[in-house]
Amino acid sequence: MPVERTSGGTSLIDVLDRVLDKGIVIDAWVRVSLVGIDLITVEARVVVASIETYLKYSEAVGSLTSASRPAIDGHVSEAVIAENAALRVEIARTRREGTVSRRLRRP
Amino acid sequence: MAPKRRPSRRTTARPSRTVDKKAAPNNGMAASRVIREVPPRAAAPTVSKAGAKPVESRGKYVYCVIRSEDALRFGAVGLGTVPAEVSTVHYKDIAAVVSDTPIEVFDATRENVLAHERVNEAVMRDHTVIPMSFGTVFKTRDDIIELLRGAYSAFIDVLLKMEDKVEFGLKVLWERDEVVKQIEREDDDVRQLKSEISSQSGPTYFARVQYGRLVEGALQARSERYVSEIFESLRDVAVASRANKPIGDKMIMNAAFLVSRDREQAFDAKVKAVGAKYAPLTFRYTGPWPPYNFVNIRLKLERATPGG
Repeated sequence: MPVERTSGGTSLIDVLDRVLDKGIVIDAWVRVSLVGIDLITVEARVVVASIETYLKYSEAVGSLTSASRPAIDGHVSEAVIAENAALRVEIARTRREGTVSRRLRRP
Repeated sequence: MAPKRRPSRRTTARPSRTVDKKAAPNNGMAASRVIREVPPRAAAPTVSKAGAKPVESRGKYVYCVIRSEDALRFGAVGLGTVPAEVSTVHYKDIAAVVSDTPIEVFDATRENVLAHERVNEAVMRDHTVIPMSFGTVFKTRDDIIELLRGAYSAFIDVLLKMEDKVEFGLKVLWERDEVVKQIEREDDDVRQLKSEISSQSGPTYFARVQYGRLVEGALQARSERYVSEIFESLRDVAVASRANKPIGDKMIMNAAFLVSRDREQAFDAKVKAVGAKYAPLTFRYTGPWPPYNFVNIRLKLERATPGG
C-alpha cells in the first residue's frame, strides 16, 4: 500500500496527542489563574520550572508491548481509541474545572 | 467575581513596545486570503461598540512562540466562532503568536483544538515555532510580554535547537490475523502444532497452549524486528526520534521524527520506500507538525519577591 502523507490538522486524535500536554506547558492551575490574574498588578511572574529538548535518536526499546495483547477486532479498538481521546479531554476539563471551583471558593 | 471593567492602558515602569500597533490597520496585506466578517480593527485601543464580544472580556490566546522582530499578521485563522485575527506580541527578538479571545477556560473541543493546530501550521510555513499547549489565555498584552521576558533565555535556547526543523508522525499498524496466518505458513513448529490441533486426534489442550505461546512469541519478535528496522532506515534522514506508546491492538509503532527542513524530501522519500518494502504493514504518516514531541518547557507562576 503506498504511503501518503497527511497534514497534521486532519486527524483529531493525532492533534490531541500533541496539543494537550506537549510543547510549552503552563501548570494546569496557573493556566486557569491567568484567566483571572493580572500578572502586572499582582506582581507575579512566569518562570521556567523545567526545560527539556529531545534531540537523540531513539532506539525504539521498550515501546513494543502491543504484540502480546489479546486480539480484539478492529471496531472495538477504534472505539477504545476514540474513548481514550474523549476521556483525556474530559480529564483535562475536570482538572481545570476543579481548580476553578477551588479558586472561586476562596474569599 | 470582580466586576468586569474596561481594560485601561496601565502605566507601568517598563516601556511597552507599540510597534505592532502601528502595523495593525487592515491594509490589504493578507490579500491572497479570503477574509469575511472580520470586524474592523482600530489602530487605537478603542474597540468597535458593534463587536459581538463584550470589550471588557478580551484576553489573548497564545498559540506559539517564534523568533521575529517584525509585527506579523496571519489572517483570520484563530479560535472563535468567527475565526479571530492572528497577530504577534513582541519582546526583544521573540514574539508570541496570539489572537483576541474572551477571557475564559477553553474546552478542548474539536473546533478549538483544530483551530489551535491550524494557526501553528500557518505560522510554521515561514517560521520555527515552539508550540504552546492548548488553552493558554492571558489577560493583557503586557502579561504576554512578561511571559516572554520571564522565559526569554529558555525560548531562545529552544528556538535555536529547533531552528528549521519540523516534526513528522509515523504510526505503523498491522493486521494481526494476517500476520498470524503468515507465521503459520512460515514457522515449522507452529504449522505442525496447528495441524495436530485441527486433526483432533486426542486431547489438544497442551497443543493449544503451546501454539498460543509460540504465536505470541513470533508476533513479538516480528513486531520488534519491523520497528527496529524502520527506525534504523530513517536514522540518516532525521535529526531525532521519539517512540511513543502504541495505541490499540493493531499499532506496533507510534513514533515522532524531528527532521531538518532541507532533509524533508529525503525523509519523505525514505518513508515511502519503507512503506513499499513492508507492504503488509499500514503506515500513517502525518506532518509537518510543530515539534511538540521534542520540546517540553514547563512554566509556573511565581510571586515577585516582597519589596522587589
